[in-house]
Amino acid sequence: MDEEPYTGDAARALAEIRSRQQQVIDQATVPGWYWWAVGALMVVLAVGVDIRTPAAVGAAVPVFVVGLLSATGVAVRGQFRQARLHNALLDGRGVAAILGFVALIVAGTLAIAFALRAEGIHYPATLACLAGGIAMGLGGPVLMRTLRRIMLGNRAGSPR
Amino acid sequence: MTAARFDDLIHPPTRLAIVSLLAASQWADFKFIRDSVGLSDSALSKQLATLEQARYVEIRKGFVGKRPRTSARLTPAGRTAFEQHVAALQDMVARAGVKIAPQ
Repeated sequence: MDEEPYTGDAARALAEIRSRQQQVIDQATVPGWYWWAVGALMVVLAVGVDIRTPAAVGAAVPVFVVGLLSATGVAVRGQFRQARLHNALLDGRGVAAILGFVALIVAGTLAIAFALRAEGIHYPATLACLAGGIAMGLGGPVLMRTLRRIMLGNRAGSPR
Repeated sequence: MTAARFDDLIHPPTRLAIVSLLAASQWADFKFIRDSVGLSDSALSKQLATLEQARYVEIRKGFVGKRPRTSARLTPAGRTAFEQHVAALQDMVARAGVKIAPQ
């Protein structure tokens, strides 16, 4: 009987450890709007490429670069102000998920662009980036949920 | 596999909460820890000083622009102690046959 409160205390302590680590993981989540913003910026860049005039490219590239830096800055600002995630939480599976997501978006967008171009359709890069941007907006939150699940599984105190 | 070692310094609820936050972080801002754990500035400073004295925590003071900013991180010794403490807690629970369901 004496062991019961002690064991209960240990179980409560483990629950507290997991809950506190979840707080750090949750504050580091990239917001959903970020993925749509990146998708929209991809389309802006593609419009510049498709129009092919120096003025269009000259306008699209700075908008893309400044927009991407600003959006990324705002999205990760919380992390730098509060707490930066420990690398160990995101193991090889997390890195593979991120690289796989990027590869899928890039490969898909390029494949669509080349296919449209081969068919002689106007604005192939814009249309392909529109598809890529939508995939980014819809897939980004799915990627974040996957990464969150991996990180929660890697928390100290997780069931072993 | 991490050796199990119950750590009396880490185990009290407030310090356990602080160390758990730090264990998931490369570093954490003083205000983030304070607000997450619900402590006053002085209470958190006291707890961090205790952990720093044990060489479990490193305190970093700097400036962001003109604003002073204090952050903390677990030292390698602190991380090892935390992992051993978690292993000790898991052993206790496993020995008692209590299943900790994932949240």
